Amino acid sequence: MRSFCVPRRAIALFAVLAVFGTVSVAASAADTYKIGIDLPTSGADASDGVPTKNGALLAIDDANAKGLPGGITLQAEPLDDAVQGVHDPAQGAQNLKTFAADPSVVGVVGPFNSNVARAEIPVSNDAGLALVSPSNTNDGLTIGEGAKALRTSHPDEITYFRVCTRDQNQGAAGADLAKSLGFKKAYVVDDNETYGKGLADVFDKDFRAGGGTILGHDHLTKNQQDFKALLTKIKATNPDVVYFGGVTATGGGLLRRQMGDAGMSNVPYIGGDGISDTEFLKDAGALANNSYYTVAAPDASKLPSAAAFNKEYKAKFGSDPGAYSASAYAAALVIINAIKEAAANGGVTRANVLKYVAATKGLPTPIGAVGFDKNGDTTNPVISEYKIVGGKPQFLKQISVKT
Amino acid sequence: MELFFQQLVNGLSLGGIYALIALGYTMVYGIIELINFAHGDVYTLGSFFTLAILTMLGIQNVLHGFPLAAALVGIIAASMLFCGIVGVLIERFAYRPLRNAPRLAPLITAIGVSFILENIMQLWQGPSPIPVPTFIPDPTFNLGGVTIEIKQVLVVAMAIVMMIALQLFVYRTKIGKAMRATAQDRDAAQLMGIDINTTIAVTFLIGSALAGAAGFVSANYYGTTWFFNGFNAGLKAFTAAVLGGIGNLAGAMLGGFVIGLVEAFGAQYISDQWTNVMVFSLLVLVLIFRPSGLLGESLPTKV
Repeated sequence: MRSFCVPRRAIALFAVLAVFGTVSVAASAADTYKIGIDLPTSGADASDGVPTKNGALLAIDDANAKGLPGGITLQAEPLDDAVQGVHDPAQGAQNLKTFAADPSVVGVVGPFNSNVARAEIPVSNDAGLALVSPSNTNDGLTIGEGAKALRTSHPDEITYFRVCTRDQNQGAAGADLAKSLGFKKAYVVDDNETYGKGLADVFDKDFRAGGGTILGHDHLTKNQQDFKALLTKIKATNPDVVYFGGVTATGGGLLRRQMGDAGMSNVPYIGGDGISDTEFLKDAGALANNSYYTVAAPDASKLPSAAAFNKEYKAKFGSDPGAYSASAYAAALVIINAIKEAAANGGVTRANVLKYVAATKGLPTPIGAVGFDKNGDTTNPVISEYKIVGGKPQFLKQISVKT
Repeated sequence: MELFFQQLVNGLSLGGIYALIALGYTMVYGIIELINFAHGDVYTLGSFFTLAILTMLGIQNVLHGFPLAAALVGIIAASMLFCGIVGVLIERFAYRPLRNAPRLAPLITAIGVSFILENIMQLWQGPSPIPVPTFIPDPTFNLGGVTIEIKQVLVVAMAIVMMIALQLFVYRTKIGKAMRATAQDRDAAQLMGIDINTTIAVTFLIGSALAGAAGFVSANYYGTTWFFNGFNAGLKAFTAAVLGGIGNLAGAMLGGFVIGLVEAFGAQYISDQWTNVMVFSLLVLVLIFRPSGLLGESLPTKV
């Protein structure tokens, strides 16, 4: 039997040709860069995550349609950080690691929830990958020693940015709203998560500072379904209003619904952007009315700059934009703009994109001019206030908080 | 003082639901020494079934008088039957083949069945809480300053009625005798001519039917249902069964009410976020000082 012997030189020649072949093929294709999107898009959190994701997708599609310099095309890479219907920090961190490992991902839009951001910031810091959130409001993500501790690999390099303002402002707006409605005694409940507890603590402090009385501050346990005992306790203190720090998926809606059973159906309810979704309306049932909430974003239907966005969103997705859709569009626009700047100045690399994201100033977006300060916070903090009337949210007013 | 009684009512209602589920756990454990982790999910199935029936019947408003009574009895019976059948099927296909396998195998299978049921329910009705149409009137009545909802009375009444019925069944009927015999010594029971397969199937039927009743009551009590309810409720109910003495019917009831009360009073006098810690610490303490539970008998080791 004649053994088939391939001369070593031939193998080497084939290998070299193969490498050059692929390299030349890659170089000849127009450059495609990916923008990662990490949001909770399944389960109870989907009513938050999906409209937000749609906003980002719209921005990327628009940019591709208009065309980018150098024939660059952008590709959206959405990943879900919800596990069993609720946003999960571990899943978020995993998603960021997936993005970090993919060299064509040059920026990420997300996450939606602050506790997921806590898990993702170290990963983004380590990879030098820009992470722009449309909706995280917890103060400790950008301010203070806690924020620095999150930047594990490079403590002085900011890779996390947000186009929305912080809970320091949202809590203050909530307290201001409660005071303006004439409420003097409030009972505070939070879901014991990063966002919920942080927001509730700010409300607690600011409501007291404004002259109100906090009758009590309680925390829910995970997956709690029965609030009757807690509500009986709250009812006995006779509050003017109940403030909830947290999201619908962790009990915001069910707590409100069971207020009716506990005999507190005429006590109003104030929450943050965590209950600004359609899921809250469903969970709370008839008691969704007479609830108020704040959102760390301008109301897209009220801004002239957002009119075009609203029309486009409705045409493409067949429904009204969510509370953070326009913010997600803006977040994606920040990255897209940075990619354009990078392409013109030294090439599209993660480091370069990061540099131009950080340098964003006065970028026109559907939520107004976006820019970041040295901590990665927005230079245009805006809070909108809503009341639910007849099962629908009604815009009350907008506060611009300058800190 | 009325706050104390108000929380007492809350605790008893919550405890009633736990007690109903715990009865099923304890029955199954008593007879085949299996902790049926899927039991909590059968309870959730009961509430889902109730939701489906109420939606199908198109009951929009609150009923009164005779239609209310008829609907109540009818839907509870249907829910119990449905869950009973599901329980029997689970036993037949998941547990019976493993009856003589080492103890770990059916335990893992039970966990597997639990996940299967949870995911089926998640696919069926979606992952968020779903509102249940109301048909029981809301009005509450006042008893010396304490507001009691009719729904709460229903829960506690159901639990007590079911337990009495169960006691009568287990101690006064022939099948009940067969169940007790099988629980005591399976091989001897077989030698005495008892059909083990049927007896165990009946045990699962009754245990799961009770879970179905609990599901119905809870769907009405909270006005919502959620696919993940069974996980928490099952865990607490299992704790209740162990607390009261696993294998002991009265123990399961007692354990259920004790846990309900601990949760309610804990939320009032300590803090809502410590309720889980309190419940499970209580369990650990009781087991340290009374390993066989509050009402369990310490069985002598046979030589």
